[in-house]
Amino acid sequence: MSLELQVWLLLWGTLVGLDLVSVPQMMIARPLVAGPIAGAILGDVGTGLQLGVLFELFQYDILPMGATRYPEYGPATVAAVSAAHAAAGTLGLGLGAVVGLITGMAGGLSLHALRQLNTRAVRRAAAALEGGDARRLERLHAASIVRDAGRAAVVTALGLVLAQVARAYLAGALPPHGVALLNVAAVGAALAAGTAGTLRLVGRGPGLRWFAAGVAGGAIVAWLR
Amino acid sequence: MSRPAVHARPGLVRSLLRLFTVQGSWNYERMQGVGIGVAEEPLLRDLRAEVGDDGVAYRAAVARGAHFFNAHPYLCGLAVGAAARAEHDGVPPEQVERLRTALCGPLGSLGDRLVWAGWLPLTSALALIGVALGLGLPAVLGFVVVYNIGHVALRWWALRAGWTYGARVAQALREPLLQRATALSGPAMALGVGAALPLVAQYLSGALFGWARLALAGVVAGGFALLWWQRRRLTGLRLGLALLAVAALAGWLWP
Repeated sequence: MSLELQVWLLLWGTLVGLDLVSVPQMMIARPLVAGPIAGAILGDVGTGLQLGVLFELFQYDILPMGATRYPEYGPATVAAVSAAHAAAGTLGLGLGAVVGLITGMAGGLSLHALRQLNTRAVRRAAAALEGGDARRLERLHAASIVRDAGRAAVVTALGLVLAQVARAYLAGALPPHGVALLNVAAVGAALAAGTAGTLRLVGRGPGLRWFAAGVAGGAIVAWLR
Repeated sequence: MSRPAVHARPGLVRSLLRLFTVQGSWNYERMQGVGIGVAEEPLLRDLRAEVGDDGVAYRAAVARGAHFFNAHPYLCGLAVGAAARAEHDGVPPEQVERLRTALCGPLGSLGDRLVWAGWLPLTSALALIGVALGLGLPAVLGFVVVYNIGHVALRWWALRAGWTYGARVAQALREPLLQRATALSGPAMALGVGAALPLVAQYLSGALFGWARLALAGVVAGGFALLWWQRRRLTGLRLGLALLAVAALAGWLWP
């Protein structure tokens, strides 16, 4: 993969990481968006869509409320698509899932570290903030956003390096049965996480009946295709 | 103390644009407070013109605006508009603080139900269905457009409603359209995601044959059971990493 493509992926991953919490929260951070665009950058929309759908299911396991800690699947999906691109059709999903889940975990840890850095910056500026210094307030806010952009770039870069390593050392190491097992594990975990996450949201009330109706309808459409 | 005339929309658009960054400085001490202060500041600039107070009212209001706050990011505008309007209306400082504190819970809860557990998974599920049915990239772009129509409309409504109602902002939360949307979003989400799951399962398992499909059914059932019964300890991420590690080891050992 050329350096130019890697730079484009890094830029896209940084935008995606920035969108998750800081600005503008328009959901390009959703794997379903991050993946296909990464795929389009690589000229492989199909792989991007597959991994986007896979990680979107993992995303259903997360409710981003308040101070909760959660993995970051946006830049992770970009890295996953990069890893799977070279092995599309065979090792694609499994290899992408390995790289993406590790990057997602690193992204979650980096968000916690960023929030601690922001807390320290706010404490340092406490006197100016209590004095109603609007300029200081704006500078503090802008600096935090720049810090988040740096964090997103580092997480994406880490994921892209991991993708290179995985392609180099894992792609040829597994026999066909092993490749299929890895794909089964990736798809199975994603479907289980998506179902469990949705059912936690739905609860035991009337929503459960709507969910069951949806599953029945979806299954009929799938069977008819 | 003389108060400046309140214009219809003093800096509302600038405030709205800043609200898109409201969580940019999220931290464990003031949470969204700094972002709220930044978004509220354009609405407070009229206070600088107060005769004979040398900007004291403005600075005090800016300082209050940056205090602790945490709610759903799309509905923060309601608190920003209401607090700014209350400052213009000469509401006592402690009452403005109480108003902000009182809004955290309801705005968080409403936004979580309406957006995180409603509109977002619903529109995402529709896009998943589109991709699974072969629509490809247009389904994804459709998701971005449709989701953000709701997103931007909600942010704009919240800011305007907050500015309109001021300290009586609780009335805005009782608007019939908002109540209906909140009531409908849960069932619609359940139906949409429910329909998406079998189609997505078919889409992702397209390359698997024979024993691999049987193994997939077992992994989904077992994984779901584990996530359900161990929900306090086990997350989708941990399950995924564990299953991939086991699969890699088994695949490597398989003759």
